[in-house]
Amino acid sequence: MAGIDDIRSQFNNELKHASDLDKLQLLETSYLGRNGKINALLAEMKSKTPEERKSYGQEINELKQSLTLQITQLKTLLSTRKDQGGDVDVTLPGTVYPKGSIHLVSIAIEEISRIYEKIGFIRTSYPEVEYEFFSFESLNMPKSHAARDDFETSFIDAPVHSKWGKMLLTPHTSSGQVREMWRVGKPPIRMINIAKTYRPNWDATHTPMFFQFEGLCVDEGINITHLKGTLDHFVKEYFGSDIEGRLRPHHFQFTEPSFEVDVTCTVCKGTTKVEGAKCKVCKSGWLELGGTGMVHPNVLKAGKIDPKKYSGWAFGFGVERVIMMKYGIDDIRNYYAGDIRFLEQF
Amino acid sequence: MNIKITHNWLLEYLETDATPVEIQKYLSLCGPSVESVEKTDDGDYVYEIEITSNRIDSASVFGIALECQAILPMFGKKAKLILNPLDKYRFADVETRHASSLQVTIKDPSLCSRFSAVVLDNVKTIPSPDFIQERLRAIGIKVINNVVDVSNYLMVSFGQPTHVFDFDKIGKHTMIMRESKKGELIVTLDGKKVELPGGDIVIEDGNGELIDLCGIMGGLNSSFTDKTKRVLLFVQTYNKQLIRRTSMLTGQRTIAATYFEKGLDEERVETTLSYGVELLKSYANAQVTSVVTDIQSKKYSPRTISFSLSEINYKIGVNIEPKQVQRILTSLGFGVQSSGSKYTVTVPSFRQYDVEIVEDIVEEIARIYGYHNLPNHLSPATYVKQPKAFEDLFVYQNKIKTYLKHIGLNEVLNYSMISLEMIEGLDLKPSDHLFLSNVMSEEIKYLRTTLLPSLIKNIKTNEGRKDQLKLFELAKVYERREGDLPEEKYKLGIAVTTSYEDLKGVVEALLQELHIQESLFTSSDNSYCSSIQTTLIIKGKTVGTLGKLKTQYKDKNNLSSECFIAELDFDTLISHARTISTYQPLHPFAIIKLDHTVTFDKKITFEMFKNRAFKKSKLLQKLDVVDRFKDKITVRMYFSSPTHNITEADAKKELQACAR
Repeated sequence: MAGIDDIRSQFNNELKHASDLDKLQLLETSYLGRNGKINALLAEMKSKTPEERKSYGQEINELKQSLTLQITQLKTLLSTRKDQGGDVDVTLPGTVYPKGSIHLVSIAIEEISRIYEKIGFIRTSYPEVEYEFFSFESLNMPKSHAARDDFETSFIDAPVHSKWGKMLLTPHTSSGQVREMWRVGKPPIRMINIAKTYRPNWDATHTPMFFQFEGLCVDEGINITHLKGTLDHFVKEYFGSDIEGRLRPHHFQFTEPSFEVDVTCTVCKGTTKVEGAKCKVCKSGWLELGGTGMVHPNVLKAGKIDPKKYSGWAFGFGVERVIMMKYGIDDIRNYYAGDIRFLEQF
Repeated sequence: MNIKITHNWLLEYLETDATPVEIQKYLSLCGPSVESVEKTDDGDYVYEIEITSNRIDSASVFGIALECQAILPMFGKKAKLILNPLDKYRFADVETRHASSLQVTIKDPSLCSRFSAVVLDNVKTIPSPDFIQERLRAIGIKVINNVVDVSNYLMVSFGQPTHVFDFDKIGKHTMIMRESKKGELIVTLDGKKVELPGGDIVIEDGNGELIDLCGIMGGLNSSFTDKTKRVLLFVQTYNKQLIRRTSMLTGQRTIAATYFEKGLDEERVETTLSYGVELLKSYANAQVTSVVTDIQSKKYSPRTISFSLSEINYKIGVNIEPKQVQRILTSLGFGVQSSGSKYTVTVPSFRQYDVEIVEDIVEEIARIYGYHNLPNHLSPATYVKQPKAFEDLFVYQNKIKTYLKHIGLNEVLNYSMISLEMIEGLDLKPSDHLFLSNVMSEEIKYLRTTLLPSLIKNIKTNEGRKDQLKLFELAKVYERREGDLPEEKYKLGIAVTTSYEDLKGVVEALLQELHIQESLFTSSDNSYCSSIQTTLIIKGKTVGTLGKLKTQYKDKNNLSSECFIAELDFDTLISHARTISTYQPLHPFAIIKLDHTVTFDKKITFEMFKNRAFKKSKLLQKLDVVDRFKDKITVRMYFSSPTHNITEADAKKELQACAR
């Protein structure tokens, strides 16, 4: 049977080899555990004389305390070393996860939809290939109107419909106005229609296909202040609370009165100056957003709604236009060229 | 269209204390948008002003003066018309003689709503007086000589283009106005030989020569030169549609055409010709030697519009004082009669094509009152139900796009129109496609019936830009229908350059994301794909095919890498989508996992093995592919019972039953 001193020197030896926390745990168990060496020494107590017992007991106790202390100290040391150890370059990149992208226009469409959804407007979907009736006649644009000629509208080579006229690619989302009036039957109408639109125009600043978003509100007692307030709300939600909207007189066949909406230049914030120089983006601190107006009585009539009882407002803005204004991404030709270097940035 | 005028020119008609910058600001808010104001070297100011198509009456110095008279007082500025040319310059005041005469025949009165002309003799061609030269130069019009300058000066003053002929070059002093025949030729003033599309307004002289492409540009053969002694001052209004058509078809987008195509006021013809005579008398020493020819096929009978003040206020949303209404309309040239709150307004001839209904009056009052003075109100809250079909369409579009993005795909948006070459690139039938009749580029002629040609083109475009391409597009295709609009169907197209397994993984992951559990992949024989292809079927409905692009088409589209393509019918896909999967109750009993390696061949596919396994074993809960090597596949099968613990022996028995 090993004596107290043997156990101590044995322990000191083994402690030197306890190079990690797992080994130290084993060492601790073999000395301080229930079946450990300390408890084995205590079991020897009964073979001692009553006189010896007191000092023997004291010695074991001291040994136990000393072992416990040494183990605790080493444990602290090893734990610290473990947390600090290793030669990992923490500046290296982590595991790479797939990163795809959503098209810039899809992102804007979601942003716009959400803003209008919160104030009770529902998003709809109407044909992109339309008849003249929905794109023009119903919108108070007579046959002779310039927008209806070959230079402004893309026509489809198809038989002319006896009732609805020629087939075309819708040049604006306004073609959905009368369709929505027919669908609902009776006001209220709160529509937001976001869709592809087409015009035969392809150059540095135009693409033959582009997106518009159309708002239409028809109800009893709708007046110009409602149009103005709703647009101002959109402008602040989309561009920021420091951006103002304003209306200027304009002309469209399907609204009366008609307006053009300007917003505070998003670059110079309306100051016309950027770092002391003249703002290159805007004229006089304002940027044109698009067209709007009070729904023309003839359009309501075409929608089978009584213009004496109901009134409304409508607007149609370019999705690419608001993206350019908000994010400054103005090379519109890249939008639909399918270049991965453009797409994957969003 | 944009016009330019100068401040001093404006002051000829208007007395005001507003500065040019104030005029710019206030006009832009309430009337025509003044895009810039710039000071000239002579101390004058040049305004560049945008004119909307309905307000061609305001596209002149006088027109802007009228707008100023209405708008500036709203901002506390003085503004008063000091010269009204409509009252001052009348035919009655033109002294006429009978020494010369012009014979005129108008074949169709619908070509020209008013025709006026007068002969002036002894014209002396010299430089214009300084004020005309300075004003024209300031607004960017080339100064030539007194006669040509007067013609331009008239146009800017009143917005009415004029033309000056050399009277002695007009064969037999005879003009026959008619529609052109297709293919007729005329050499215009600028020396260009123009082949006429037919149906254009032209003038033929007594010798059968074309001497004017009306409303666009005069003929070179009859034009005024510095040797001309007798001139014909020529002022008309034309059929606007015909002018626009000719201008667009011949590419002659002259300034005159941009005026005439918007429809000019017949009454201003009189003002313009009369003032023109006065200017030519003063600055070219000319004398009138004929009577004024004046043929008017259509005379304006003044329109009246009646309304009540409350109607106006209801539409604008604020209450406007009767005094204000009176002042605004009068200053714009309307005649106003009122009794109590009832008004009757007479529309002046220069607004006859623009102001027709009470809403037009609302616009005039509201804009001058100032849109900036109106409060902002959100439209009153109400509930409109969004049809489920619309809701699903947009919710799932967004969900699918977002999911595909997160698993590493890039969304692309392509034109809805494609080229014949792209159609042939997949041996599709051109006759299945709708196409544009007025095509501007062969690249965008046909409406897509599938997204795949566009996606294949995208892969081609991006070769060399990225090692692996994974693209998707969610867009409509257009399937032609007899006697109706095409059916517009949303498709989800995917194209990757990685592998068939990768493409199938994307589709399967998407099915999982949409919690579609009843999907089935069957053999298929789509013509664009090699034998590596499969068709996705959900509850018996075909959703679409995915597979490897046939080598033949890979070559035809000049692709250097392999391409794997899928096209799924969006509506069918989302009709089976669910928000969450069917819930499987949890149970505490053991799950025994067993691996099993199977050799597959054409006769027994994995799909068949799987289906049979689930049919044979009630305890089989799940089956995964954990390894594949050549034709050997290791599957891991999970067995358990929801009612009791099974033993490994039980599981092995089940496995044997499955694998047999």
